[in-house]
Amino acid sequence: MKKVFAVILALAMVISLAACGGGNTAPANQNNTNGSNTNNTTPEKPVYNVGMVCIGDENAAYDRNFYMAADAAKAQLAKEGIDINWIYTYHHPEGKEVADDCEELAGEKNCIAVFLNSYGQEPAMLQIAADYPKTVFAGLTNEGSYKDKLDNTINAFPSIYEGRYLAGVAAGCKLNEMIADGTITADKAVIGYVGAYTFAEVVSGYTAFFLGARSVCPTATMIVKFIGSWGDPTMEAATAKDLIDNGAVLISQHSDSTTPATTAQENKVFHVGYNISMSDVAADASIISSRIDWTNFFVKVIRAQVKGEKQDQDYIGHGLKDGDVVLTELNTKIAAKDTVEAIKKAEDAIKAGTLQVFDTSKFTVDGKVVDHAFAVDTDGDFAPDKDEAVFDGAFHESYFQSAPYFALRIDGITLLNEAY
Amino acid sequence: MHEKTPLIRLSKREDMPKARVWMIRLGAFIFALLIGMLVFAVAGADPIEAYVTIFKAALGKTTGIRQVVRNAIPLLGTALALAPCFRMRYWNIGAEGQITMGAIAASFFAVHCRNMASLPLLLIMGVGSMVLGGIWSLIPALFKSRWRTNETLFTLMMNYIAIGIAAWLIGGPWEGKPGSQIMPVFSSNAVLPKVLGIQCGWIIVLVLTVVIFVYMRYTKHGYEVQVLGESENTARYAGMNVPKIIMRTAVLSGAICGLVGFLIASGTHGTLYSNVAGGAGFTGITVCWLAQLNPFAMIVIALLLGVLTKGSSTLQTSMAIPASITDIITGIILLCMLGCEFFINYRMHFRENHAKEAK
Repeated sequence: MKKVFAVILALAMVISLAACGGGNTAPANQNNTNGSNTNNTTPEKPVYNVGMVCIGDENAAYDRNFYMAADAAKAQLAKEGIDINWIYTYHHPEGKEVADDCEELAGEKNCIAVFLNSYGQEPAMLQIAADYPKTVFAGLTNEGSYKDKLDNTINAFPSIYEGRYLAGVAAGCKLNEMIADGTITADKAVIGYVGAYTFAEVVSGYTAFFLGARSVCPTATMIVKFIGSWGDPTMEAATAKDLIDNGAVLISQHSDSTTPATTAQENKVFHVGYNISMSDVAADASIISSRIDWTNFFVKVIRAQVKGEKQDQDYIGHGLKDGDVVLTELNTKIAAKDTVEAIKKAEDAIKAGTLQVFDTSKFTVDGKVVDHAFAVDTDGDFAPDKDEAVFDGAFHESYFQSAPYFALRIDGITLLNEAY
Repeated sequence: MHEKTPLIRLSKREDMPKARVWMIRLGAFIFALLIGMLVFAVAGADPIEAYVTIFKAALGKTTGIRQVVRNAIPLLGTALALAPCFRMRYWNIGAEGQITMGAIAASFFAVHCRNMASLPLLLIMGVGSMVLGGIWSLIPALFKSRWRTNETLFTLMMNYIAIGIAAWLIGGPWEGKPGSQIMPVFSSNAVLPKVLGIQCGWIIVLVLTVVIFVYMRYTKHGYEVQVLGESENTARYAGMNVPKIIMRTAVLSGAICGLVGFLIASGTHGTLYSNVAGGAGFTGITVCWLAQLNPFAMIVIALLLGVLTKGSSTLQTSMAIPASITDIITGIILLCMLGCEFFINYRMHFRENHAKEAK
């Protein structure tokens, strides 16, 4: 009796499952095809698979910036007659998962190029790359691939410090406006900066931002706090709040989420973002963002792969001039009136080469002008020992390699913690 | 009278025939797959295609099989390490931390003995990892046998300390590029060689499987562990030194976990990460229980989980199904497999008389 009952119950479940499954599958599948374009293979024309290993997903501003560029690159390549299909993996910051992804993308999906969007992924990728010489592996924001002996591993890091400088100019204009209308006094023009780690890329970014701000608002100072993660929405928000409590009237960030922007909005201070425009989530706070536009790089690498051309080992010196670094749309509702002109002036000067972001006459370290700093590490101890970066009156960032190497602690910026 | 009888009563049973037991387990597995189909359907994928993709990806290509084995190595190793503890009814939840400490010890020698020849260096790394893993496991065991502290909580807490130590080392003394919080990769002499394209750790864990099987079934130690697990008083009455057995078994367990840490750090990552154990210390517990503490069954379970892990990443790249969906399905399978043991161990009695009255 019991057995019969059990069998009937089981059957009922199977049938109901099948029914549910059948009902849901069809429309959902359609969505899938429309969304990801995985099934539009045409037999006449090859569709090249291109992989990207991501540290996060579309919920992180950082990763979303890559997807925007990936879509743009796909459209641009399609115009040239090259059809590509992006394949993503998510939430793999380092280690075995990244190696497995590389193996899967190159070995099983036959991707002609695999892009790794975070610094920590490169070592795992380098373990795999030699096995798949036909695939090019790009360690974005890293510096190990161009130095190694493999031809199919490359690096790229557009000159984002230029964009940071311009974003800083926008911040400085806002500070000036606040001083002019009496919201703050000149000595209270404090910028708060949410940093990821005490890492050259971050140091270079906040320093460029600060120098941009100070170029228009001479009394500006900056406090920086590190969170010990590339992206941690809760921690980023808490840190932004902490900076505001420490007197910051404008927040900027080198971290992956938009919570510093929303925190700034909640606390009625202003904000300058990174990676994507954050004006949509914080319309009354976020003025502008700087971002890297990876489109040119993706197009260049994929095109070279398809045509069988040799890849550049390192993507050096691509910034504002080439459109690899851009600003998002200015939030005119809250931006200071003279912002557009100020940005334009600085932008033209940078493009023309008349303005150096790290002009050594514009900053000091321990009260002294910097006259010497090496750029590149050659012996593997991670302390730069080659290539003099300071010449012609400026520290030349991203000149000898694309990955930033400006790691000086300049005067006017106070680090609230250095634990990371 | 009948009103007081619960609708379902349970009674312990131990007489179920082997064939029936396996029928139930198979049934549970199929049941889990059916629920899994529902999950896939909700996620907007063709369930059949999804399952086919999982198994094709994992077993259809050499790279897939290699990844499955790579996934299975730490799971099998951890499950083997935990088996004697669990047989003893000593709840070692600290495998994650013991693995991490093992990996730290291995990394220590990899960093400080850079110029040694490969074989002796790997041996030192292996031994060092076992020693540190063993010590890490001995601490809660010592407290347990001396002051009867709760080993479940103690070993669990030790995990977070170990992971914290690893994170500190990576961001502190062993950090590579300043601020990166990443340790440089080991030099090639500190990396385990590959056999058949997979780090040789798979041979080590297979040998361990036999060793643990023999240890648990045919040695005096194994017998003592079993007696102690059945009843501490019996063990005492038989003149066994209970604290000594607890500590000895815990150290053995920790040492094997430490070795697993060495295999992961040196063989898989080639460097140290703070999450070097990557959850193997916890998933290993499930593997151990699913296998009913049988070392050979652990091989099968570890491989099955390896297949699911590999399948989940391929589902992501092939069908754009989030990897977390496969995690859900893995969870369902594990739950059903563990849950069915209930039906094997207990007989359910429905309130039959009452049902007749209702008619």
